[in-house]
Amino acid sequence: MIADFLRILRAADIQVSPAEAIDAAAVIDEIGMGDRTLLKHALGHSLAKTEFEKQAFEECFESYFMPPDMKIGMPDNAAANDDAGDAADESAPGDAQEADGHPDAQDGEAQDGDAQGGQPQGGDAQGNATGGKPSGGAEAEADISGAPQSLLEMVENRDTAALQSAMADAATLVGLANAKLFTQQGMFSRRILEQMGLTEFDRRVREMAEGGETDRAEALKAGRAQLFDAVFDFVERQIAMRTKNAGRLLREDALSRIRLTNLDKSDMKIMRGLIQRLAKRLASRHSRRRKKAQRGMLDIRRTMRANVAYDGNLFELAWRRTKIDRPKLIVLCDVSGSVAAVSRFFLMFLYSLDEVMPKTRSFVFSNRAGEISDMMKQGDMDEVMEQALRQFGGGSTDYGMSLMDLAEATLDDIDKKTTVMVLGDARSNYGDPGHLVLKEMHERAARVIWLNPEPESTWGTGDSEMKRLGAYCTHTKVCNSVKHVERVLDDLLRLGS
Amino acid sequence: MTKSKNPARDAIEAILTGYEKLGYVSDEQIATALFLAQKLEKPLLVEGPPGVGKTELAKATAEYLGLDMIRLQCYEGLDESKALYAWQYGKQLLYTQVLKEKLGDVMQGAATLDESMNRLGGFEDVFFSEQFLQTRPLLQALQSENGTVLLIDEIDKSDDEFEAFLLEILSDYQISIPELGTVKAKVPPLVFLTSNNTREIGDALKRRCLHLYIPFPDAARENNILQARVPELDDTLRGHIVDFVQAVRDMDLKKPPAVSETIDWARTVVLLNMAVLDSEFVKNTLNVLLKFKSDIENVEGELARLMRETQMTPDTPIQ
Repeated sequence: MIADFLRILRAADIQVSPAEAIDAAAVIDEIGMGDRTLLKHALGHSLAKTEFEKQAFEECFESYFMPPDMKIGMPDNAAANDDAGDAADESAPGDAQEADGHPDAQDGEAQDGDAQGGQPQGGDAQGNATGGKPSGGAEAEADISGAPQSLLEMVENRDTAALQSAMADAATLVGLANAKLFTQQGMFSRRILEQMGLTEFDRRVREMAEGGETDRAEALKAGRAQLFDAVFDFVERQIAMRTKNAGRLLREDALSRIRLTNLDKSDMKIMRGLIQRLAKRLASRHSRRRKKAQRGMLDIRRTMRANVAYDGNLFELAWRRTKIDRPKLIVLCDVSGSVAAVSRFFLMFLYSLDEVMPKTRSFVFSNRAGEISDMMKQGDMDEVMEQALRQFGGGSTDYGMSLMDLAEATLDDIDKKTTVMVLGDARSNYGDPGHLVLKEMHERAARVIWLNPEPESTWGTGDSEMKRLGAYCTHTKVCNSVKHVERVLDDLLRLGS
Repeated sequence: MTKSKNPARDAIEAILTGYEKLGYVSDEQIATALFLAQKLEKPLLVEGPPGVGKTELAKATAEYLGLDMIRLQCYEGLDESKALYAWQYGKQLLYTQVLKEKLGDVMQGAATLDESMNRLGGFEDVFFSEQFLQTRPLLQALQSENGTVLLIDEIDKSDDEFEAFLLEILSDYQISIPELGTVKAKVPPLVFLTSNNTREIGDALKRRCLHLYIPFPDAARENNILQARVPELDDTLRGHIVDFVQAVRDMDLKKPPAVSETIDWARTVVLLNMAVLDSEFVKNTLNVLLKFKSDIENVEGELARLMRETQMTPDTPIQ
């Protein structure tokens, strides 16, 4: 049960480690399953550890642990044929409650009266049924369903709790957790029912009908129909829960590989979420590598301490740790035509990484380059891109001019710790590609990386100056999907400054 | 449904009322987390915007359980010699001096080098012993006889290294001191970690903790908090204050006012003996509530609307 719930949580993108699973078990041990809100809070504390996870957890919990009254009303009200009068008395309040939700409960009530009239007969039949049957069969069944009663008894006694647990156990046995498609719903329902002992149930009902206990058989049939509904409903919910996220994950995976230029407008929203998550992952992975010990100032206190053992002679020297600089990045993005889409996502990704790369300056260009760093820092991405396009877009691409502009604005800033990145197709309309300016930057910067959205086979064809410009780059890379962008930035962060 | 009597539920109710008596108004979420932290002996990581009472929670817990509270304030550059232990090297140096002088006496009569080495080995190694150990908050918490409440405040301000260093303490309540061996807690302390989320806490740390997020309280809870904290305040005024703060919180501000600011503001009202909240007063005391100039200007611009919405009397001239 818990394991199953955890699997659902994992499907919903909540990271649950085995250690946390153990915690969850301990939590349940401590507070029990009875109190739903308490359980929710408690499990929430031990499993969901970020705000995003808290939300997802809430959703999962709500759909997995259905509110109790919704769950219970289902299979039992049809099984109105009660042999034992006092059992009926006991469950009377329950009936009244359930009657609201289920119109058939009325019928059940009526039948209840009948059945009580014919009580001795029913009692006999019960005796016959169990006596006449090889009791081994019933027991085997009980073993399979994991409940001490047979299905017939459960339905007859309206033992909802037992039915519920039998259903859950059967679901585990038939591997409902592996269900992936809605079309499998019917099949799984059937299997679960069979696992719960439907064949046996049917046979006994048939025997009863033949043996003249029509009332009882009818009631049981009604119960059977209810059971069907309940199981079907259960399976539907389970599958929905499991597939909801699988679908999204599948889609996101596809989107991260798709060429950004082919991206549909409707996917933008998913894309943004995806990028944010990828960026977060990247940031958390690299935030731990930001610092390294370096030789620098002597840390006197620590040195003293380390050397007390040597009678104060300074054998071991301890150095003050210095923070290593985060990569300084200058980005130049083409925002003309086809490259614009890639640029947009690249910048979006980049600024989601603000935490680990705060020293980023970005420029966009088509014929002239302009800086948009400040705009990016505050603005909404769509707005910024639009504004940038209005301001700098249009006009034919001019690499020579744009690189010159970039050099003018940044050349003084470029030092041995700076990475220069250019994102563009290097198609300069047969104009000056600006390779001389690039050469100068290359000499000063730690790295020059050129990202080209075109596949490598087309580099150097037509007006593409990729070959000439590429000569002055440390790396040249194809970059046209989110996966590429992620990899590029990952490499950049790994190399540090 | 007949609800079975749940002992856990009772314990949580007890925590709720217990804290309320101490002037800390919690809710079921918080109480559940506290209950679990005690039962499972797990550290509790408390997150939330500044000023919602994360630190206060630890203090209240210490008071509730009648334990000492040891507080460790994190900051960038905090390392184990400040958090855990340090050797008192001054004393250690003195000790070596003394030892040198005594060495002659000890070694008297030792014929060979071997023999003197043996004699030396016979002495306890006092140099790295608890005598010279300067305990710091974490070690104090582990050594305490009765158990303590250990508050590791603003863990997000510390370095990644320190976070990693905490892992051993948090999972096993023990710590390895290279020179001495492993120190295990006599009574596991109840550990609170707080974070303002200025940076993402590592997964390894999160995994070892229960996680509690305290958001800004809703109006009803804030009202209760004010009642507990500033009992002198009369009911209508308190209602106005809470409404106003809640409305301000909905605005787009750099730093929305937290509970602690609300309390400060309520105290201001009491201190200045205000009978009504008029716009003049609100304008003059906004600096209690808001901590950025741009925020104050922002709210001042909207003051009339806010006052109207919260049904305070906007234009009563000051008496």
